[in-house]
Amino acid sequence: MKGKLLTGNVAAAAGAMLARVDYVPAYPITPQTEIIETIADWVREGKMDSRFVQLESEHSMMTAAGAASLAGARVFTATSSQGMLYTIEMLYNVSGWRAPMLLANVSRGVAAPIVLEPDHNDVLAARDSGFLQFHSETCQEVTDLVLLAYRVAEDKRVMLPAIVNLDGFYLSFTREPVVLPEQKLVDRFLPPYEPVSPMRASKPVSRGSSVFEGFLYSYFRYNQHGAALKAKQVFNQAAREFEDLFGRSYGPVEGYMLEDADYVLVMSNSFTGLGRQAVKRMRERGVKAGLLKLVMVRPFPAEEIAALLRGRKVVGVFDQNLAPGAGGILYPEVAGALYNLRGRPGAILPIVGALGGKQTTAKEMAAVFEEMIAIDKGKTPAPLFLMRGDEMTRVKKMIAVAEGRS
Amino acid sequence: MTAFTRFSDEKITEKGFVFAPDITAVMDDSLISDPMANPFAGLRKGGVAVVNTTRQSASVLPGRDDVSVVTVDLTGQALKILGKPILSSGIAAAVARISGIRKEALLTALSEELGDIGLSADMVAKNVSFADVIYGELGPLGLKTEELPTTEELVPLAVVVSDGGIEKVTNTGNSFARHTGNWRTFRPTIDYAKCTNCMICYAYCPESAMSVDRDGRVRIDYDNCKGCMICMTECPLRAVTQSREVGVQ
Repeated sequence: MKGKLLTGNVAAAAGAMLARVDYVPAYPITPQTEIIETIADWVREGKMDSRFVQLESEHSMMTAAGAASLAGARVFTATSSQGMLYTIEMLYNVSGWRAPMLLANVSRGVAAPIVLEPDHNDVLAARDSGFLQFHSETCQEVTDLVLLAYRVAEDKRVMLPAIVNLDGFYLSFTREPVVLPEQKLVDRFLPPYEPVSPMRASKPVSRGSSVFEGFLYSYFRYNQHGAALKAKQVFNQAAREFEDLFGRSYGPVEGYMLEDADYVLVMSNSFTGLGRQAVKRMRERGVKAGLLKLVMVRPFPAEEIAALLRGRKVVGVFDQNLAPGAGGILYPEVAGALYNLRGRPGAILPIVGALGGKQTTAKEMAAVFEEMIAIDKGKTPAPLFLMRGDEMTRVKKMIAVAEGRS
Repeated sequence: MTAFTRFSDEKITEKGFVFAPDITAVMDDSLISDPMANPFAGLRKGGVAVVNTTRQSASVLPGRDDVSVVTVDLTGQALKILGKPILSSGIAAAVARISGIRKEALLTALSEELGDIGLSADMVAKNVSFADVIYGELGPLGLKTEELPTTEELVPLAVVVSDGGIEKVTNTGNSFARHTGNWRTFRPTIDYAKCTNCMICYAYCPESAMSVDRDGRVRIDYDNCKGCMICMTECPLRAVTQSREVGVQ
């Protein structure tokens, strides 16, 4: 089917429109603003039957979102980078309230120093918040994952909020052909949201109450965990129905040239495309390379990762994020999924790259595979931090300007 | 600002920065000599450099005899047809022509796209005719390109972290070193016979490019004036006029 050229931001807004969201509390931030501008336009033009409100901060925005979701509204909002960090306190509340609203995060590296292009420290700062997380590689996936995320979040077995992540610039401002699902079919896939004990003036309900006692707290927290784990099964069921209706298939993870692969790169989000190219080039050279893309980050698809990486020679985990003093954030999660596996991969290489959207060349990606091959031949795995010589030359030049030495 | 487009009959998976383009389009010829911009870096052997300029092609890109250079006065045509220096449709037409995209496909896409973003029917029509003119000015060029060899290498973390790397600018106030006057499409001129030195232009100039000389008269700092013409709009005595300017150094 022929798609329409849409930016990732418009694809996210289109997902919200197709989901017939009731309420959009918003606060602008680059590179997300186009999402809420687009929605504001559509609401004004009457294309979307939603209430759009600009709040005074991301913290208020998220509070309004959670409260409206409890009241029975289907809620959509969006943020990025520092905005995501500012929502964090409320993210934990909204998921604790079991309010199944949706937050689109347009990934951008976090300050300081200030940067505009993407890495995943922002969205991964929300990894322990109880929000489900779905990460997109293409603009098409943005629209589709918004619909899937609502379907999973609002399922009575789950009732948790969700984040759909799209990379700033690489998706947010990149136009790709997107096939927009037919509204009639979306309505069939995503029926109206049915809240649990919705707040009504005629029927008061108290939510988000204090429990004080640790055993009560543990009970509700364990249930939150159980619901998040359940979300995978619910996602798989929903994805099958999605494929029947729309012809595109999704899973918690996606394999690329995995079948006989000895060297597998684990990646997520828009840079996965670069990984695919690298795999193709390695295959042309006779290297059995493959790729495993994480679509679902919460719940963490540990079983799928284990099943698909069993028996590989070397696995590389490409983290587009950095926890200073530790390394990549997803590496220990992937390693944890593999450690107790009989026939676990020979080695797991941590890779950190593309921070702040650092432009990454085919050669850098090839170097990652070279390293994996060297490890297979006996080299001790040591974390790889991608940076090129020509970039270091530019760093030095710019520092000289900053210090008045040029 | 840089932007990238990939088109192919096959599915495209790579996104973002294009390191080795087949075509490099430069919208403002002042970028060519800007060491920070370095717009032709990576342009493939056999590739095409399209430059918006009033200069002749030979003077645009010395030292690269392995690429073709196409020059076109986009700004001139845009001013004539659209009435403003908005170049997108023209450069799209130039790239479409060079890469062999059919004119009908280009013009249809333009009408759809510009209509979608809410441009008036009149403006859409003007953009289509702008693209049509540029398409007609140029000929197709067979693109047979080859990536330039690179000496790129990875550096280990030890090299990156060797100097402590704390971000700071000790040479502060260095924006004086960067002249932005070459951004101008229009040059404002003050007619001192009419000017009463009311200082309204001084107050409104968003770039602080209006300064006051020893005699207390307002002077335009042409090294930094970007030609936004707000001074002309705000001048109550119509003492500021504009003229088209090319090749500002």
